[in-house]
Amino acid sequence: MDSAAALPVDRPLLALLIRVKMRSLWNRVVKAAAEAPIRVSLGAFLVALIWLGLFGLFLMVFSQIQESTPLEATVAIPLIYSLFFATMMIMLAFSNAIIVHGMLFSRQEAEYLLSAPIRPRDLVAVKFFESLLLASWSLILLGLPLMMAMAQRTEDNWFYVLFLAFFACFIPIPASLGLLFAWLTARFFPRNALRAAAFALGGALVVAVIWCMRAIRMREMATDVWLRSFLQRVSFVESALLPNNWIARGIDHALNHQLTDALMYLAVTAANALFLSWVVVWLVSHHFGPAYDRASTGGRGGRRDPVDASGGICGRVFFYLPLPLRLIAAKDLRTFFRDPVQYSQLLILFSLIILYLTNMPTLQRELGHSTYALVIPLLNLCATCLILATFTCRFIFPLVSLEGRQLWFIGLLPLSRGRILRAKFAFAMTVALLVTCAAIAYGAMMLDMPMVWTGIHLVTTVAICFGLCGLAVGVGARMPMFDQPNAARIANGLGGTVNLIASLTLTTCVITAVGIATWHSRNLHPEQVPAIGDLILCGSAAGISVCCGLLALQMGEAHFNKVEV
Amino acid sequence: MEPAIVLNGVCKQFGDNVAVSDLSLEVPRGELFAFLGPNGAGKTTTIKMIAGLLRPNRGEVYVCGHRIGADGLAAKAKLAYVPDLPFIYEKLTGREFLHFVAEMYGLSKKRRDELLERLVNRLDIGEYLDELTDGYSHGMKQRVVLAAALLHEPAVLVIDEPMVGLDPRTVRAVKDLFVEHTRNGGSVFMSTHTLEVAEAVADRIGIIHRSELLALGTLEELRRQAKQQHSLEEIFLQLTEEGDG
Repeated sequence: MDSAAALPVDRPLLALLIRVKMRSLWNRVVKAAAEAPIRVSLGAFLVALIWLGLFGLFLMVFSQIQESTPLEATVAIPLIYSLFFATMMIMLAFSNAIIVHGMLFSRQEAEYLLSAPIRPRDLVAVKFFESLLLASWSLILLGLPLMMAMAQRTEDNWFYVLFLAFFACFIPIPASLGLLFAWLTARFFPRNALRAAAFALGGALVVAVIWCMRAIRMREMATDVWLRSFLQRVSFVESALLPNNWIARGIDHALNHQLTDALMYLAVTAANALFLSWVVVWLVSHHFGPAYDRASTGGRGGRRDPVDASGGICGRVFFYLPLPLRLIAAKDLRTFFRDPVQYSQLLILFSLIILYLTNMPTLQRELGHSTYALVIPLLNLCATCLILATFTCRFIFPLVSLEGRQLWFIGLLPLSRGRILRAKFAFAMTVALLVTCAAIAYGAMMLDMPMVWTGIHLVTTVAICFGLCGLAVGVGARMPMFDQPNAARIANGLGGTVNLIASLTLTTCVITAVGIATWHSRNLHPEQVPAIGDLILCGSAAGISVCCGLLALQMGEAHFNKVEV
Repeated sequence: MEPAIVLNGVCKQFGDNVAVSDLSLEVPRGELFAFLGPNGAGKTTTIKMIAGLLRPNRGEVYVCGHRIGADGLAAKAKLAYVPDLPFIYEKLTGREFLHFVAEMYGLSKKRRDELLERLVNRLDIGEYLDELTDGYSHGMKQRVVLAAALLHEPAVLVIDEPMVGLDPRTVRAVKDLFVEHTRNGGSVFMSTHTLEVAEAVADRIGIIHRSELLALGTLEELRRQAKQQHSLEEIFLQLTEEGDG
């Protein structure tokens, strides 16, 4: 019975752990391809679509800068690289921190591996690699079109190889910072670690918004003066000690056919990335036990002051609902705001929108009352509605399925199931309307949009909110996954895919209708009311959106009524 | 030969809440030890300290003479831990998971296949061993995890609520496996609420209540301590009620 005693202790098992992860990934891909080919194809199609869109955008930005201000472009383009990688570094560090914190301190896998004779170094290293790959796909998604757009400026084929090498050498730096942040959070802030991370991210975004608002105060300046002033403000990202600057300079040298200099920056990036990774993995693995212990023993939910089920801020938000529905909607809102994983994503999405809208006035002023003056608000509307579609697919769609384990309880409530669905819909509409209408109104204010177009956009937003929320709740009730407790997996299931396709189609149709009306009005003064035909087109699109929502709710209710408890 | 498990004045606090208070306990080799207690008494915390997942605020834990913390890897090499919610990689088949465990503990392929064949037959898991584990029921997962725990013939098996979700036939098979494991010189430290199982197979029983060890001994010794000749259930209820008083 002492066979284990003969085992060599302290064997390196990193290779074995990596093999298991690779095997799991392979099995997952094979299963997804066999069971859900449509979902996989749709995912690939959407990624390609995003990729192409970004490629076009980057190409346009670089050409625009090169053509309109060739002198400034010499300075601006390297700065754009530097800013891009600085932003990516912050975002990747945060996403790595959140992912690796979950992997090391919350999941059962870590507990299982810690009880096995595996060195903490191997466990930390494999989780570091895993989070690095999971978090960095966004950089690949954004980075590849950036590379392709930049490659239009060079004819050297080795540029692609060099660019990929720069990426590979760069990503361990934010991943190391993320691992360090996750460990510090677990070691010193064991209570509500994710909430701490969400607040830190929120704080960083607020600082970014304030900084951008200061930058755009220069709105009365001419373009070249504004650009020079702006370049001066952001020049701090070009500090020689910052990794984003090494990679930006390296790429710039590569684009200018200075291979030796590019390789020197590549070597600097690689050396620092390796050293930082080694130091952080060593530090975290040597002090992993106390951090795990604190994270495991300090994470109680925290006491809250008792409030009536229909009371508090959550209850008051739904003041317009009858009491039973208010109770259910307030319960959903409380659950949402007590889960940092959920609300932090919403916070990030809409903070980015606000950041983007805050930066709009400068561009709008340059366009004046030209053909494109209404295009920017239309793009804002499009971006806001697409983000809303993402939100409803990810967070609203799983709501009905998540009640699966409480279905017996819901079945016993003195409420018809249709009313329960309507409570979910009211919850979704309230949150969606508050956030999207605020974003659209803020955008309109920043762009000094004419009243008539502000009205059209707000009505469209309300209609899209209705349609998307109706679809999410209705399809969620029509195609539920009651046995799945994980919201992300529910959203990724067949019903989630159907909802995603329907939501994107609906959003595209409505925005296209508003786009057509915008195009027809391009020669009118912005204050002028569009032609009656265009108003009817926008109104019809809004009506279709509302009808889609109602139809989906009705179908969902019909099915939900038949589900056996 | 050193005892399988030694807990020496172990204390564990979660903030102001004392989860385990001054617990001293010794489990010799070849013993099946049942650890009983009401919910929140400190059973799982104790088990996690033995498995090296939590660190005691005070006191020491030894597994086969190796101190957890200072000599943790050597201790873990001799130990298998099965939590109340068993972990299994969802995108591996049962067989791939068991091969992973065998390799983690350094078993040769020949030895692995011999042991695996025996466990597959005993736990009746052959039918679904080549399917992905994400489709397993709780009972199926529990059986594969038990096979994984026993695969490397650990000197100490620490298991939290082993019988939850198992059908009567498998409960019987698991009880037999535990008894066989102790007959071969291994030790089992089992936390359970299923008092009939503890009564039927445990060599000694410990009862923990409100973070303190209330009683320790064989069933006969517990009966003497409780001054009654009834079932373990009644002894348990009497001792924990006295603890409340």
